[in-house]
Amino acid sequence: MSMLNVDNIQKSFGKNEVLKNISFSLEKGEVLAIIGSSGSGKTTLLRCLNFLERPQKGKITVNGEVLFDGDTYSKQKESEIRKKRLHFGMVFQSFNLFPQYKVIENIVLAPQLQAKEQLKSTGEYMGVKTYKEAQQKIMENALVLLEKVGLSEKKDAYPCNLSGGQQQRVAIARALALNPDILCFDEPTSALDPELTGEVLNVIKGLKTSDSTMIVVTHEIEFARDVADKIIFMADGVIAEEGTPQQVINNPQNPRTKAFLSRFKQNFS
Amino acid sequence: MDSFLNVTQQLLSGFGENCYIFIVTLLLAIPLGLIVSMGSMSGFKPLKWLTKTVVWIIRGTPLMLQLFVVFYIPPLVSNGSFAFPRMNAALIAFVINYAAYFSEIYRGGIEAIPKGQYEAGQVLGMKKSQIFFKIVLMQVVKRITAPIGNEIITLVKDTSLASVIAIPEILMNAKDFSMDGLIWPLFYSAVFFLAFCGVLTLLFAFIEKKLDYYKG
Repeated sequence: MSMLNVDNIQKSFGKNEVLKNISFSLEKGEVLAIIGSSGSGKTTLLRCLNFLERPQKGKITVNGEVLFDGDTYSKQKESEIRKKRLHFGMVFQSFNLFPQYKVIENIVLAPQLQAKEQLKSTGEYMGVKTYKEAQQKIMENALVLLEKVGLSEKKDAYPCNLSGGQQQRVAIARALALNPDILCFDEPTSALDPELTGEVLNVIKGLKTSDSTMIVVTHEIEFARDVADKIIFMADGVIAEEGTPQQVINNPQNPRTKAFLSRFKQNFS
Repeated sequence: MDSFLNVTQQLLSGFGENCYIFIVTLLLAIPLGLIVSMGSMSGFKPLKWLTKTVVWIIRGTPLMLQLFVVFYIPPLVSNGSFAFPRMNAALIAFVINYAAYFSEIYRGGIEAIPKGQYEAGQVLGMKKSQIFFKIVLMQVVKRITAPIGNEIITLVKDTSLASVIAIPEILMNAKDFSMDGLIWPLFYSAVFFLAFCGVLTLLFAFIEKKLDYYKG
């Protein structure tokens, strides 16, 4: 069974139908790249997965657990949604680091709050029983993550003193700290100067292992081809084409995919 | 020389009243303003419009008039059986008036926080209250320090308005001297205000510097 199943997601803003019956699935360890022109609904799809938008219809299932069902979803409790959205991690286009906290504090803040809550309700957090031990674990994990994104020496810096690329790498570490099943990237390099995109893309590439499942909305076609196991091309709220990078990028069938990709080739080669 | 000491003593005792109004108003209006700002940002429309109307009335009428209303209206409508003591009436008017102004500063500060900050908190599984207290509040404080400082300095001088309901504050005492033909105490009273506002200015510069450890 697939790790993630998205069935017939439909989302409108007023009369504007942004997602029209989107369905796809993703296996554990796969990287999915979503490409398409601006306004095609890529970002909205990602936001629906993260509960930042609520679809009108459809179903989202992770590991067999139904997270969202448009038919029965009337008013879910905030606490339930909070639990469910933790299956997904999210890296934003504009980083959204917390400016008043140091890099390390940005990473440990949410896990610490979670640990406090869990210790209170179940008396245990990741195998430890006191907040002090939990804090130590969280800190160790955060340092490992910072090393992974290559920013160990910046742990006490404030976000305003980092470059955009460094900020985005911190944002990636922050998302990873909660150990999400699926990590989503919403155009992670679109807000960056061209010379800074490489470091972020390399970090994302480096995250690819057999059990890390990722969804990347991107305009970096080269990157999508290198990293993705699967590519979805979206246009006007529908999946116009999907398949392996080989199929979608090197040998597109849909005329719209062809048009989109040829525009890219003109612009970037 | 005797008269200088005497005047100073009189003015100081009056200024004590000003300081008392100032401190109580600050202590009460700062939290009350936050509650009012929550009302004017509420998703519940009737509460939002009620709050906005009250803020409009308070900001749209002179504080002097509000002092009269709080002090004179209760005895008028109760046929003299109920009235606030002078100082309480002054405090009620000042606290409500300043809470209205503070609430608008808070609202501006809170609404200026980018949506991305809330969304980042949400995707990290935080509760609404955690997002507000752990993420948003500190950023709001930084943004509103300068306008709040401005308002607080205005408050120092507004406290003299309490003289209209015969609270013996500094300007009223100074004016009493002028009635007896002694004009200079009136101008001398400025020294007290200047000293107080000078201290506040330094204090706010210090706070702003303290909050300057990050940008954004």
